[in-house]
Amino acid sequence: MRDGRRRFVVRIARAAGVVPAVLSLIEGRGEALPRGQETDFAILDAALVIEHHAIAVYDTGLQRGLFPPGLRDRAVEFRGDHVGHRDTQIAISRERGGRPPEARAHYDLGPLEPGDGFVRQALQIEVAAQEAYTALISHIDTRDYLLSAAFILVDEVRHMTVWRRVLGFRIY
Amino acid sequence: MPSALALASTGRRRFLRGAAAAPLVCLGRPAAVRATEYASASEVLDTIDRREVEVAGRLAAIARAIAGAQAFADSVASDQAGHRADRDKLRHRLKLPASSVPAPPPDLSLAALREAQQELVHAHAEGLPALGDAGAVAVLARHLVDASRQLTVIDLWIEAEELRA
Repeated sequence: MRDGRRRFVVRIARAAGVVPAVLSLIEGRGEALPRGQETDFAILDAALVIEHHAIAVYDTGLQRGLFPPGLRDRAVEFRGDHVGHRDTQIAISRERGGRPPEARAHYDLGPLEPGDGFVRQALQIEVAAQEAYTALISHIDTRDYLLSAAFILVDEVRHMTVWRRVLGFRIY
Repeated sequence: MPSALALASTGRRRFLRGAAAAPLVCLGRPAAVRATEYASASEVLDTIDRREVEVAGRLAAIARAIAGAQAFADSVASDQAGHRADRDKLRHRLKLPASSVPAPPPDLSLAALREAQQELVHAHAEGLPALGDAGAVAVLARHLVDASRQLTVIDLWIEAEELRA
């Protein structure tokens, strides 16, 4: 299961052009990267790829009414969190002269099942995001980005835990 | 929903959302919601120790009164034991002194438990930049994941209690 999730996040990150060194870290087989601006940019880019993807998942689910009716508000809230994560990290990147990756024109989300099936899809991207931030956070050099990434990670864990609860998985 | 409202009302979450709306992470946030800036790894670990003992004490008191809470309390206690062992190793590696923390008075309030757990989460998150050691950041980030998950469980618990009432 864990390997499957890792492959998922690596697949979307690779397709979006995330550098191999960061992909290796997400895969759990990377060497320590030199701490500095370049590594921070690589992590920001990888994180943004994931946030763009997460927003696409929630947009699709909300626009097509795929979330169970009682969970729509929750999905709207989580989408808003991801938009916040995206905008925060774009701002950090631009402030330092970076060129953050934009969202793709189209996301292939595979078969779209309504109800619990789509909650599982949302859970998949949340778990991927949580694992990616957890893998990358210790390689961040600057205090302001490290602090932001920590609070973003808190959000990802909350999203993941709520969806796990909805689907009847263990949460403690 | 109550858990979302509870989380959204916290100062740090307002900080992050505010930062997203207004471009610079370090600028433009009100002093009242400014994140704690720790001066050293020792201060971070001492704060986490204190917060963790407070959560443990409150949760143990609640579990003694509410039978259904025991499984969660046991799970949290198990996680916290592992985290304490990790922090002891970090203190040893970073040559930091051990801390001693007094137990808090018993309290059966779920809201107080939530507040204590949230402070534990914030101590982890706000402490990461002060650690100055990538290995220590990796360890406490994993603990942050556990503490955040536990905070969400408490939120869902409060939400369930409110629905039941």
